[in-house]
Amino acid sequence: MAASGVAAPTRAEVLQLYRSLLRVARQFCDYNVREYTKRRTIDAFRDKKNLTDPSQLFAAFSDGKAQLEVAKRQAIVYSLYAPKVKSIMDIKPS
Amino acid sequence: MASLTGASLNFTSLSSSFRRTQLPLRGISNVKSVSFPSLRMQPGFRVSCMAKPETVDKVCEIVRKQLALPDGSSLTGESKFAELGADSLDTVEIVMGLEEEFGISVEEDSAQSISTVQDAADLIEMLKEKNNA
Repeated sequence: MAASGVAAPTRAEVLQLYRSLLRVARQFCDYNVREYTKRRTIDAFRDKKNLTDPSQLFAAFSDGKAQLEVAKRQAIVYSLYAPKVKSIMDIKPS
Repeated sequence: MASLTGASLNFTSLSSSFRRTQLPLRGISNVKSVSFPSLRMQPGFRVSCMAKPETVDKVCEIVRKQLALPDGSSLTGESKFAELGADSLDTVEIVMGLEEEFGISVEEDSAQSISTVQDAADLIEMLKEKNNA
């Protein structure tokens, strides 16, 4: 399991993953899941902001990519069963 | 004296001919309003560089909220995000906030090149114009 020689992600790749996760979060129709996804990505990326070890960076990056796939799938599944009544938080005050 | 009366006689004939020319005058007034759009075209080649002040204000408000800047701090079009204490993650979040606020979609490379408030406002204006066109 000694991951010596794995390529750490570049700065641009990490920012691209961040942006993709936030974009996927917007696609959820459920308010709670949407806010959770946004909150979790922001917290996770800020938490690991100062990592320098390439193997740790690679592990965190592939973790993030796996989560992105899960989120994309779940956004589609949620949209199949979207409730007709929107959450109160989504209704803008008129 | 005779010439005067002669002139007055001519007057009446002129006034009758005046009435006939009034209608074409109305036609001329329509032409004046058509020339207005051409005045707008003159500064056209600079429109892409200048963003509206309300756009810049909205961008400033979003940046203030995201970076939790104190109310008294100065925030102009030339302020750089890095100077305000934003890191690259903050910049991505600011761009997301701007996408939601203005209903636009920013490309990956354009988003990387934003470094000041004015950059963001100009990009927003350009994308809005593209959407409207």
